[in-house]
Amino acid sequence: MTKASISFQRIGLILLIVAMTLGGTTGCKSKKKLAREQAAAEYAARVDQATKDLTAMLNDETTWTLEEKERRFATIKSWNLQDENVISLMDQVEDMLARERAEAMRKAEEERLRQEEEARKQREAAKYNSVESQFLAIAAAPDINTANEKIERALSLFASPDVPVLVIISQAGGFNDYDRPTTISKYLNYLKDQKVYNNRIEQVKYDGNGKIIELELIKK
Amino acid sequence: MSSAINLSAQNRGIGNTQVDETALYAMTKQMSQFFSRFNNEEDQFGKKLFPSNPAWREQEKRSELLPLLFDKENPRTTGSLRDFFIEDLTDSDSSFLRFTGGRWYAEVSTTFQHQGREVQIILILMIEKENLGSKWVLTNVYYPAFSKLFPAGEMAEREKHFLHPMSHELDFMNIYKAFQQPEVIEYYASKDFQPDYLSLFFYEVKKGNLKFKSVDKLKFHIFQIDNWYFEVSWFNRSGNNTGWLISNLMYVTENEKEKLLMFYQP
Amino acid sequence: MRKIQIIIAVMIGMFSINIVQAQDDLSPERKQAIDSLALEKVRDLSKYISIIGSKTTPWSEANRVIDRAEELFMAGAEIGVSSLARPEVAYYKVRQYFERLMRLNYDRVEIEWFKIEYVSDLQRQPDGTYVGVITIFQKFKGYDKEGGLVYEDTTKKDITVYVKRKETQIGGRIIGFWDVLLGDMRVKETSK
Repeated sequence: MTKASISFQRIGLILLIVAMTLGGTTGCKSKKKLAREQAAAEYAARVDQATKDLTAMLNDETTWTLEEKERRFATIKSWNLQDENVISLMDQVEDMLARERAEAMRKAEEERLRQEEEARKQREAAKYNSVESQFLAIAAAPDINTANEKIERALSLFASPDVPVLVIISQAGGFNDYDRPTTISKYLNYLKDQKVYNNRIEQVKYDGNGKIIELELIKK
Repeated sequence: MSSAINLSAQNRGIGNTQVDETALYAMTKQMSQFFSRFNNEEDQFGKKLFPSNPAWREQEKRSELLPLLFDKENPRTTGSLRDFFIEDLTDSDSSFLRFTGGRWYAEVSTTFQHQGREVQIILILMIEKENLGSKWVLTNVYYPAFSKLFPAGEMAEREKHFLHPMSHELDFMNIYKAFQQPEVIEYYASKDFQPDYLSLFFYEVKKGNLKFKSVDKLKFHIFQIDNWYFEVSWFNRSGNNTGWLISNLMYVTENEKEKLLMFYQP
Repeated sequence: MRKIQIIIAVMIGMFSINIVQAQDDLSPERKQAIDSLALEKVRDLSKYISIIGSKTTPWSEANRVIDRAEELFMAGAEIGVSSLARPEVAYYKVRQYFERLMRLNYDRVEIEWFKIEYVSDLQRQPDGTYVGVITIFQKFKGYDKEGGLVYEDTTKKDITVYVKRKETQIGGRIIGFWDVLLGDMRVKETSK
């Protein structure tokens, strides 16, 4: 709000008081005086309350949520107080709330994107669920024969036992660092021996027959 | 289904035993760990701290950790000298050990066969930077049989052996005398002459007279900290004061160090 | 004053890490990933040792696992073993060491690994290859037919790890990977 408009409002306020004073002289003196005093007291109390609330909001001394702060601000605004200090505080609080609102919206958008990404990842993961569950089953096989059977079954998903398997160990600095490439046959036996599958499927390439021709894993 | 498998299959860590491992945690397991502990660059589980971590090289904690790096059963490394040393270390921001910082040496006690006889030889090695990295290199060797070849000798005796300054006028016809007493041949060398034991050692190995047998013991001599020297040895014993520990400590001025270093890196 | 010292220490620390980065171009995060990869190879080895040593592992299976364990090592790597009773180091080729483990003359063996594992700093050798040492501890127990404990020891195993950056072509693209190979291993009995 500019200085000019403040002084304009101020002139308006003075005119109002003058009008009230003039009008008062023509009506019932005591009743009107009482009402006037009441109005003045109420006004002063509101100025006081507004000053307190606005200052508290500015200094972040409230426990109110953004919505509560906005409601409070709207109420104070509706009082249409013409106190210079309150007007200045309202300017500041309005700015602050605008910033907080923008920040909240940004956060909400981020959260939405994160959830979308999470859902996408889960869809991705679900896409590979059947392959991963076979890996987990090999790692958890109770004995060698069971493990070998499960390896045979898993191998049928692949174009050959020599299909390359890549494992990403780090994505620091924006590019992939891999472990030494291996083959699916060796990898499945690795799961059997180590009894652990602690990777996640990152990417799968298929041939025309729907068989896997390249598998890319990432360390969890 | 898959989550149940997940749980049972995902327990991965090397250990499967439930015994008390306190002693193994306490043990300074590698020289690398000695360096990390000395500098306070790892946490109590041996995990490296990043330099961005406020705990990295934090001096107050360091002064609590340092006493654990001394052999507690040796009066030389438990008294007030140790406390002065720790005070000096934690007082200054430059008293940290650096792997490629030089002035630290490995003393490797070995057994060789010398002309059929088993002999003990001490090899001194140090880290030397080369190209993209570094390596251990031999800097000296201590073998009493070599040192005996060059006894200090009495001054009076030394003074008897020289070629007079006009020998050249007689085509050095007197030089044969120098070779008549091989045990003092070095008296005929310049006063700056220093026997180079490493060359002697290489010569004997090349000639096939010295054959390597085994490594017996290893310790380290560290001169990196200003005005201090200390030795680090391996302690294989029970308890929490084990592994690589400081086994000797001396206050040595930088001037005195120069002389000592002549042995390690002539 | 103390605060300033810490700040300076941190600044000096940052400065030196920058130098390290400039020298070998590896961020602490990547170095940590390599450390974990190296540690994983050692864990793989420890698992293979348990399988090879176990008397319940069928002979053919043990031989297959020996092949896999051998693949973890660099050609020519050796294992140097000493005990409190025999402090002189006995040298074994990797394959020889595993075969000896497979044929140990006990009715039953228990191989347990302590949880503790220590990874040294990676240092570079002159050709740029990173070298580190990983320390692990093992408890071994051998039982006879009657189920009596006839041999027991705790050994410290210091395993050399070589890490080298390599590239290969897979499916028409260049894959940059860290080749981690185990080198010499020192096996030393620790006193209880």
